[in-house]
Amino acid sequence: MKSLHFRNYFKNYLYDLDDFITIYDKHLHVFNYQKLNKLTDTEIILQMLNKEIVVTGNELKIKQMTKQELLITGNILKVEFNYE
Amino acid sequence: MNEEIIWVKFYNNNYYRLLLKLNSLDVTIYDNKKENEYILVKVKYNDYLKIKKYLISYKTEIYAYSGKLKIKEFLKKYQVFTITTIICIILLLILNNMIFKIDIKSNNKNIQNLLIKELKNNGLKSFSMKKNHAQIEKIVNKIVHDNKESIEWLEIKYDGLIMIVNVTEKTIVKEEENYNHCHIIANNDAKILSLNLYRGVALKEVNDYVVKGDIILSGDITFNEEIKDEVCANGEVYGEVWYNVKVTVPLEEDYIKYTGKNRYNFNIKFNDNKYNILKSRLKNKKEQEINLYKFNDFEVNLVKEKEYEIKTKKLTEKEAYDKAIQLATTNVSLKLDKDEQILYKKVLKKEANNSTIYLEVFIITKENIGTRQIVEEEIDNDSRNNP
Repeated sequence: MKSLHFRNYFKNYLYDLDDFITIYDKHLHVFNYQKLNKLTDTEIILQMLNKEIVVTGNELKIKQMTKQELLITGNILKVEFNYE
Repeated sequence: MNEEIIWVKFYNNNYYRLLLKLNSLDVTIYDNKKENEYILVKVKYNDYLKIKKYLISYKTEIYAYSGKLKIKEFLKKYQVFTITTIICIILLLILNNMIFKIDIKSNNKNIQNLLIKELKNNGLKSFSMKKNHAQIEKIVNKIVHDNKESIEWLEIKYDGLIMIVNVTEKTIVKEEENYNHCHIIANNDAKILSLNLYRGVALKEVNDYVVKGDIILSGDITFNEEIKDEVCANGEVYGEVWYNVKVTVPLEEDYIKYTGKNRYNFNIKFNDNKYNILKSRLKNKKEQEINLYKFNDFEVNLVKEKEYEIKTKKLTEKEAYDKAIQLATTNVSLKLDKDEQILYKKVLKKEANNSTIYLEVFIITKENIGTRQIVEEEIDNDSRNNP
């Protein structure tokens, strides 16, 4: 069990497989997203490795965007996780 | 260059659709702004090339550059200004490091010519580049060493575009000790006021009257009326000298009166020639120049011309008398050195007619009356003065 844990840890270190989100005041930082499924001023849906993140709010915008990361700004009202 | 960041302007209103498209193209967005008629997106230059290639339906243009691209674009935009600035800086550097004129501070033509030749041999001439301090010091030492007989001290410094050469010539001073036999004689008829003897024998005393040529301090050392030794007499002799000065002063005097009319003109001076730009309409004028531009021997000046008239005024007898006294005193004062002075003055005769006033002024001065007379060894009677 311990060896498996170490293997996962090493794999993640090499390939950055873990995803996480950080919420600030009017900002949401998402790391390691797969795809941007939907983008409107009230709803943003992001495809992660094994789940979907639904960000609901108003005046939502994407401030910065790279292949792995997203910085969403606006009045964020709700963040939902939909596991497949 | 492709990694440089730029702002791209999209002529599109659909912000969310555009961002989805950019996301699908894996474009990294560093910042974005939505305006009424367009959207600004900050991306890498190579991502912009990708956008141009794939999003052909979007009208785009580069809005602003950053980094090296910004400098390149600035240089491209202000090409003429940039080139002119670079040329000006190069010219300024060249002019700043160039010698336009060599000013040798010496009246001796031989020394001037010698220095010009020496400086030229060491690469310092007009329109040549300046040397640094170490090189100048080396050149100075070399010139002084090569011309020990004629140059005592040499200094080279720069004043803008002019190279100033200060030089002290080597002069061989004849020391007093070189004279074996000399006297101090009176150079004027006088009454001795003070006498300081440093060497020799005093033949006269204070309050004695002497005539021009009398020996005051003798170089002959005598004992029992026999000359035992010969030295060069040395000392200071001050005496009362009398002058009878005759002065005539006219009772009418010319003076300048400014009319108040002023004109402005420009002149150009080049190689000691002066050219006025405008024709002057003033008859008698005094000029006052204000330098506007100067470069080497070329000058441009603003000239203020003030018109004047020559008027004649009549002096009163008192004014003419004072002026005559002043003139007589000045005439005598010009002959005196620093430690000499006028002791007494008195008007002996005064005559006035319609147009002039005539004065005879008696003036007593205190002045150095001693002059060295060198006695030649072979011919005792032949002597020469050494002021």
